[in-house]
Amino acid sequence: MSRKFTLLFLSLVLTLPLFAGCQKEAEVIKIGLEGPMTGDYAYEGQGFEKAVRLLVDQTNAAGGLLGRQIELVIEDDAGDPAQAALVAQRLVDAEVVAVIGAYNSTATEPASEIYNDAGLFHITPSSTATGLTQKGFQRFFRVCFLDDRQGLFAAKFIDGVLNAKNIGILHDNSTYAQGLADHTKRYAEELGLNVVFYDAINPDDQDFSPILTNIGAAELDAIYFTGYHAQGGLLLKQSGELGLDLTWVMGNASNNPEMVQIAGLANAAGTYITTEPLPKDVDYPEAKKFVADFEAEYAMSPDSVWWMMAAEAFNVIRYAIEQTESTDSQVLAEFLHNEAKNLNGITGPILGWDEKGDRLGTIHVAYIINESGEFIMNPQQP
Amino acid sequence: MQFIQQLINGLTIGAFYSLVALGYTMVYGVLKLINFSHGDLFMWGAYLGLTGLNVLLALLPQAGAWAILPVVIIVMTTVALVGVLVERVAYRPLRTAGRLAPVISALGVAFILESLARNIYGASWKTYPTGITPTGRIALGGDARVSVMQIVVLAISFLIMGALYLFVQRTRTGTAMRAVSLDHDISRLMGIDVDRIIAIVFVIGPGLGGVAGMIVALYYGSFDFTLGWTFGLKAFIAAIMGGIGNIPGAMLGGMILGIIETLGAGYISPQWKDVIAYVILIIILIFRPTGLLGERMAEKL
Repeated sequence: MSRKFTLLFLSLVLTLPLFAGCQKEAEVIKIGLEGPMTGDYAYEGQGFEKAVRLLVDQTNAAGGLLGRQIELVIEDDAGDPAQAALVAQRLVDAEVVAVIGAYNSTATEPASEIYNDAGLFHITPSSTATGLTQKGFQRFFRVCFLDDRQGLFAAKFIDGVLNAKNIGILHDNSTYAQGLADHTKRYAEELGLNVVFYDAINPDDQDFSPILTNIGAAELDAIYFTGYHAQGGLLLKQSGELGLDLTWVMGNASNNPEMVQIAGLANAAGTYITTEPLPKDVDYPEAKKFVADFEAEYAMSPDSVWWMMAAEAFNVIRYAIEQTESTDSQVLAEFLHNEAKNLNGITGPILGWDEKGDRLGTIHVAYIINESGEFIMNPQQP
Repeated sequence: MQFIQQLINGLTIGAFYSLVALGYTMVYGVLKLINFSHGDLFMWGAYLGLTGLNVLLALLPQAGAWAILPVVIIVMTTVALVGVLVERVAYRPLRTAGRLAPVISALGVAFILESLARNIYGASWKTYPTGITPTGRIALGGDARVSVMQIVVLAISFLIMGALYLFVQRTRTGTAMRAVSLDHDISRLMGIDVDRIIAIVFVIGPGLGGVAGMIVALYYGSFDFTLGWTFGLKAFIAAIMGGIGNIPGAMLGGMILGIIETLGAGYISPQWKDVIAYVILIIILIFRPTGLLGERMAEKL
């Protein structure tokens, strides 16, 4: 008798936390954020956190979502594909209803497989590698634009605005940078440009003088670097120190004021950047309000367009949950595929998503770094 | 013309590898220990130099380039102290524990130093104050140019390496170091304070590593906490290539690795330079397993 009682008591005690768990799940809506909080891209990852945290707090203060509070679950992938797979599994285990992330395509690629297997609703703010949406994942979306759109824009800019004939393209072997480089090469050749130099750097290097010496000798009218800002800054600095007179064009991963610091003002001035418009240049009231709130909260402006994209991703998730009154991944995904059209995004108009999950349209523009190191919109656009 | 320019590029990179390789080779000489924390001590030199320069230039903005001198001395002393501390805490208790335990301990110290740097200074790239290093280039005929900073870096590197070589070859302490590198027990019987000699090695190695970190940071202008890993691994390979335990070998190995990498990157592609460099390393090791200068046992340190 007493043994039976003990067993009953034990089983009650042991299952109690499970019930408590269920209760708690019903109260909060967990949303995952995966990004590089440390490592080379920590600047972007920490910005993701700031941007999304701001919106989560605002939503919670206004009564939450469907009457429930939102809990943000943050995981650090350090921009590394191995760690990305690990933390993606942790987010799945934490039972989030949707995930924002990762920053770089190299990390998003393995993570997206895991989210897909778990049936999660997943939006990347910034991973633009074309291949990511070619796998038939039904619940994976982007709020950024495809590399091949930027490649086309870059080719048009180098051809039409810079009037270059012989051009070089340099990437860093990452999924993203190589994709952008390949697309740009294809479009540039279609436009009749000669791609006379095409090569990659190793982003772990500190010294790029060997390849810069070659670039200098190739007599290029323009060179397009598709990699990230730290290497972009070093390339500009070392090319200046070697005394090379090059017209540098950088892709959107170099759209970062830190690049100017690394390069030094004199070496950075005159560099062009193809990118989504900076927060300060987006003219929508939604964007202006977000920038103002961000400045009030953190005493700094959201300098990176990717922080805006992370906020955009959160807004899309919030909007989908509000409209469908559901947190079911499949319902949310179908809503984005079929019903979400012509929204006022904070990075520009959101026309909708195609069947692969790619955001429709494009918003790319060309910037130039001026003498005081500021990014200003280039007066001539293609 | 391009060849000369690439050679200059390679010599500069090689000089950095050599400077860092010295630290690996000195410690290996006396302890037969691969001191994996050396790369991160080197990286700490870069960070401490940054703090030192920022503080000094904030107090004395007119100091300009002169600020470098006192900061170098402070960095050298601080990193040397950390080096001695690391030896005392993480290596000495394990000296009789076989060869594997100290190596793992050294890796542990490396991770600790790297994480400390990341947590204290943050993960983003750091930039040195501008305008304190010499600028300008000298044309060498054709298109080849050498920058004033490259000349300064090469001169300082050769000066440090030469001085160290003379110290080891010509002084009493240097002779004692060479004796300790041959046999600890016999050295002790000869009246050499082995612990003191090892401590001295851990002053000189990390001290020079710290200075090298600051020179690298001054030259490139920016870095992050992975600096120790990237340069440390290459310098370690340079030390092996030249014959680990041998000071001229470290210099030679560093220069050769720098030049091979540069020519590989310049004439084939940066994507292939590591393949080329390591194929050559393997060939060297097959024919000379002790490295290029590794067989001169009597001069080993």
